[in-house]
Amino acid sequence: MDSLQLFPPLHERGKEKAFVQSGRTLSATQSPRDSSLAVFATNAVEPKALSALKTAYPTQQDVYTASIDLVPSSERRLFITDTSVIFAAFQNLMKTVSPEDTSLLSQRDERTLGMMTKLALDYVNFTRECWVHASQPVKRVVPLQYDAAHYRSLYTCLSLFVVLYLPDSGFEDAPVGEELMEWLNIHFIEPSSEEGDLLSSQSHPWEDENFWPYLTKTVLRGLSKASVFFLNTLSQHQSEHLQDLAERLAPILESHPRLIQFSTERDFVVAFRRWKEKVKSLRLELDRVPEDVRHDDFADWWNHLSGIVGILEGRQEVIRNICVDLGSDWKEVCSAWGVFIDHRLRRQDLPDVVSQIMQDMPPDPTDIEDMIHAALFSGQLTGALSRAAKLDVWLAAHWADMMEPLELLDARVDEESELSVRQQYVLAYAQYLHSDPALWRITVDYLCSCGPIGRERADQVLLRVPFNSKFQGGHSPIVAEVQNGGLRSSDDAVGVLNEVIRTCTEYERESARRMVSQIAAQKFLQEKQYGLAISYAASAEYWTGVGRIVDSILTEYVLHGPEAFAQSVITVAPILQELRAHPDASGIFIHRLMFAVRYAEYHRRRLNGDLHEAALDLLAMLQEDIAPKTWWGVILCDAAELLKADGTMLFSPSGVVQLLKRLEEVHIRAAQGSGSDYLSVLMKTMKGATEKEALQRLRSARLALAKSYARCTMLGAGGREIPGPLPGV
Amino acid sequence: MAPADPVPIETSHEDMIHDAQLDYYGKRLATCSSDRTVKVFDIVDGEPHRGAGQTLKGHTGPVWQVAWAHPKYGHILASCSYDGKVLIWKEQQPATSGWAKIKEHSLHAASVNSVSWAPHELGAILACASSDGKVSVLTFKNDGQWGADVFEAHAIGCNAVSWAPATRAGALITPTPVVPNQPAPARAAPVKRFASAGCDNVVKIWGFSEETQTWVEEDVLEGHTDWVRDVAWAPNIGLPRSYIATASQDKTVLIWTKDSPTAPWVKTALDPTGISPTGAPPATAGKFPDVVWRVSWSLAGNILAVSCGDGKVTLWKENLKGGWECVSDITS
Repeated sequence: MDSLQLFPPLHERGKEKAFVQSGRTLSATQSPRDSSLAVFATNAVEPKALSALKTAYPTQQDVYTASIDLVPSSERRLFITDTSVIFAAFQNLMKTVSPEDTSLLSQRDERTLGMMTKLALDYVNFTRECWVHASQPVKRVVPLQYDAAHYRSLYTCLSLFVVLYLPDSGFEDAPVGEELMEWLNIHFIEPSSEEGDLLSSQSHPWEDENFWPYLTKTVLRGLSKASVFFLNTLSQHQSEHLQDLAERLAPILESHPRLIQFSTERDFVVAFRRWKEKVKSLRLELDRVPEDVRHDDFADWWNHLSGIVGILEGRQEVIRNICVDLGSDWKEVCSAWGVFIDHRLRRQDLPDVVSQIMQDMPPDPTDIEDMIHAALFSGQLTGALSRAAKLDVWLAAHWADMMEPLELLDARVDEESELSVRQQYVLAYAQYLHSDPALWRITVDYLCSCGPIGRERADQVLLRVPFNSKFQGGHSPIVAEVQNGGLRSSDDAVGVLNEVIRTCTEYERESARRMVSQIAAQKFLQEKQYGLAISYAASAEYWTGVGRIVDSILTEYVLHGPEAFAQSVITVAPILQELRAHPDASGIFIHRLMFAVRYAEYHRRRLNGDLHEAALDLLAMLQEDIAPKTWWGVILCDAAELLKADGTMLFSPSGVVQLLKRLEEVHIRAAQGSGSDYLSVLMKTMKGATEKEALQRLRSARLALAKSYARCTMLGAGGREIPGPLPGV
Repeated sequence: MAPADPVPIETSHEDMIHDAQLDYYGKRLATCSSDRTVKVFDIVDGEPHRGAGQTLKGHTGPVWQVAWAHPKYGHILASCSYDGKVLIWKEQQPATSGWAKIKEHSLHAASVNSVSWAPHELGAILACASSDGKVSVLTFKNDGQWGADVFEAHAIGCNAVSWAPATRAGALITPTPVVPNQPAPARAAPVKRFASAGCDNVVKIWGFSEETQTWVEEDVLEGHTDWVRDVAWAPNIGLPRSYIATASQDKTVLIWTKDSPTAPWVKTALDPTGISPTGAPPATAGKFPDVVWRVSWSLAGNILAVSCGDGKVTLWKENLKGGWECVSDITS
């Protein structure tokens, strides 16, 4: 169980009791954004009883933030992001295998298996690089979050996994001994080169007490070069027997048959048998050495040599005893077993051999890495995974991800949790990643590989990525692009929001995409970025939201007048075109939006002095039934204002007739008690005027229109050409 | 940020803090206190933003709880107080102009102890629990109007309310494929249900009857032997069944599970053996060292935070065998 302590502490050490007696305790709220908590001191007694407690509370009421997980930092972040690329490649590879063919092994799909091995080796190489990087004795600005030893452990475990479970194509059923020994030699170097250097610097190295143990180790590890070098030094030894035996042993070591040297296992076995004959004859010669000359002043050389020959003979007891004497562990015996005792040892036979060895040489239960190695050697993959999760949740997740398609892990979904083993580990890793909200993209990648439950959790992560509604590029994302996964990278307005939407689209998280768009629309609406607000509401198919945005745009006119209104509609106009093309975007709000755009256009023209065009707009809005009835009062007053502003004839006689007809309708309806249907907006623009006042205003509009009509008629009767708009408008 | 070095947020509250809640994005923290105020702080990268935060004044008694509404409704907070009122606050635009009280609900006759917003799918709905023994459900409409259902829930008093997720647990198992650019497929009507915790030692489950347009008591969860202080319905993201956690004066936390809509609620007590401050087993098996005040679920519903009167917050997780384990503790 982890323990978190507040820093700085709420009270002095040992004052816990006093803290509790003061009627307080801790409470916490969990962040939806990551695995952090906000922790604070609060009452632990009935609120009413608080005042009765004669305790002075500190005046400072702080809220602490704490994280359940160790938030990735420094090299760890790099490790996470870089290995996520390999993970993604692995997922892509799995996608190419149809669900029916998930059993890669039974399909013998060599190409896929080969690619899996390559990706597994990528993990191996990457952890090695991290280990090397973390081992560098440099002064670091940011200290490492995990030390070199940690990455080394990951490296040894991953590479052992590849040796045992992802052999090269054609080697699945080949003897494994040499590969195990190679793994041991790479990761657990014995004997050390310092020991070798120390011995080789001596003229009579056998006089050193480390000579024979060193030589024995090099033989056991198959390091024939080092073995032969020191055997050659024995040519200077006083014993002719030893000189002779060393001379005969060297070529035997050098000619130890290696599987890799043979094209068939049969040839290898034949060569091994012949080689064993040579060892046997060496043993005979060794036995012929008289007992009284079997030692020198420094050691009982015969016994050591006999031990070495025992190793070559593959004597189980000898190898085991030597390993115990040399302080080696079960791994050493296991690897030597496959080289010397049973050179045809198969991967599938390893668990039996390992359990036999471990009976008296058990792995170290305090060393988690050793326990993981033991589980891998023993074929206990679930055990390896549960231990790996303790070492590093990263390892367990990536292993489980590889093990399932290799059929090393039960892919079935557990009835209780409704998750497969792989999903459990990958979800646990994703939960850890979630401790850093900046890693949301990677967190989602991992979650989305975990079935419906993982995808649903991914939605929650996606929904809670905070985005800055202030667009850097200032571009308005058009509806179609938003729906198809946000703006393309070619566009310069790529923000976090569009990245979230693109991710939703990529993983087909449609409901999350709609919700993110809907919230974005709400944010943009608040900031009066109407164009963006409509785009996102439309892409969420949130039509009532679009309606509300249009209402807000029209309210701009009421609250802030025509200039502010025309300005706020600028970004909306291009979207109208898009919306009209949308199959589901029908209904009243589109109509209202169209009106808002046209009405803003009218004001822009009017403000620019283009009164003729403005007058055309005004009439068209009424004739084409674009203007909602609630706006008629405003429009009719606008028409009158236009006439006042310009002495020229802006409206044709028929146009004026149209306007007067509408005016008449408003008056009749008002008389019938439905005035608010036509006048509500006008009343609002008149700062809460009554219907009567609004009608009064309309009466002056009627006067202006009537005058204009009279003038038109007069000019028309005189036979003079009517200036202004084209006839028929 | 290294988790070992959290930077405390100086709230400048002048009295005890009773609740703190992070908003939808975890970017803002709202706190409330006996000093009768609510405060809102911005949190950037896990640390408090420079500045003292904003103070929301309006209550005339200690403020017990705060709750953030879903962001699709804008920046909206609800707070409840000893003064018997529930206030709804809205951040004004631009943000620098602060928060304004937009609604005041004063239909309760005593302290309002808990407020909880319904899942956003149901609309802007707030449930409130009061010491007058009643629960009220406020429904805010688009036109700015609101309605209130007030009904008797627990004799003596009601301490907490918590909403059920809008989608039924286990609904993930047969997901409906959603095609981009197509209308969202018709889903089952969202579930309108919540739980209330009372001084009558029980937890009640309330469901809205569309037929009678009233809240109907659907279930009574009996198991505690003293006041139920808090109730928390788990989000059902990735959970195959429904979970409710309850905290009580009787020093226990019960986890109630329901495997299917027709199955009964089954309770399990958290076993706090080994988390007592002295390391000694608790005086009574299965009991926490002190009264348990609050329970709350993580977003994914897989971690339960428990605040006990012993000065500790403990975090609990269900293991793969269905048992509950304490995974972490936080001490002062």
